[in-house]
Amino acid sequence: MSQSELTMSTGHEVLMEPSPYGIEKKKLGMWFFIVADACTFATFLFGYGYMRVGSQNWGTPFEFGTILNGIVMTFVLLSSSLTMLAAVRTTQAGEKASANKWLGLTMLLGTVFAILHLREWFKMIREGWGLFSNPTGGTTQFGACFFSITGLHLTHVISGVIALLIITRGYNQGRYNTSHVETAGLYWHFVDLVWMFVFPLMYLMNAR
Amino acid sequence: MSSNREPGMGSYVGIVIGLMIIVGIEVVLTYQHLPVRTLLFSLLCLASVEAFVGVMYLMHVRYESPLLFWTVFPATLFVLVLLNYVWPDAYRMARMSLGK
Repeated sequence: MSQSELTMSTGHEVLMEPSPYGIEKKKLGMWFFIVADACTFATFLFGYGYMRVGSQNWGTPFEFGTILNGIVMTFVLLSSSLTMLAAVRTTQAGEKASANKWLGLTMLLGTVFAILHLREWFKMIREGWGLFSNPTGGTTQFGACFFSITGLHLTHVISGVIALLIITRGYNQGRYNTSHVETAGLYWHFVDLVWMFVFPLMYLMNAR
Repeated sequence: MSSNREPGMGSYVGIVIGLMIIVGIEVVLTYQHLPVRTLLFSLLCLASVEAFVGVMYLMHVRYESPLLFWTVFPATLFVLVLLNYVWPDAYRMARMSLGK
């Protein structure tokens, strides 16, 4: 058997050049998704900025209690980034029990974030805030911007928790490996970093 | 496939605590009753610092191939710069609502 026949018989991977980026294709795919998603969030935030600059009666409705809730949510999400890093580290080390613990903690913190967020939403809805209503008599665009942008972010957090649940289950069953956990981690950190813009622009800029 | 130059968990804890401190600074600035434009500029600068640190260290771009950075970031930055086309119209609307 010739050398070329041997090479062909061992599978396609030996014929392929290594990635110029030095990362697996699923991670590169996640990076491209992150770029597209960053542009989506940026468009929403620029739209909010456009409406805010263009409106004369925007108002600053958030009391310190709401801001405090936002601070707690921010710390919860930042802590979840740390637990996600620990999860990636332990999967790389092959420590399955420890990886499960850190992944579980990350999902728990993501769930706490979502609960705190929904609690804030329901409080605002009870006060009369909505997509097309403003109980303070100011522009209705505030509610539309707030619920759209924070809702988009909340959807990402809930999707992230579900994705982590699926990845953890697959990792335990041996269907997924370390690189799957790393790729999920990239998404999780991205969701965290988006909040670093949503919190100051949607909460702090509207603090009384 | 990050390299072995990655820092230990202790460094990551330091980075996350640093990010929490920046959030604290943002909150303190908010209650200094600064002019809106000054506050917005300050908050955006601090958020950009947080995002840069997060992308470079938490998302490991610092430890990946430089080609990844140069593929992803100039394109994203280009889009973000182009989005600034909205401001002249936003200020036109503000002037119209003031009746000027």
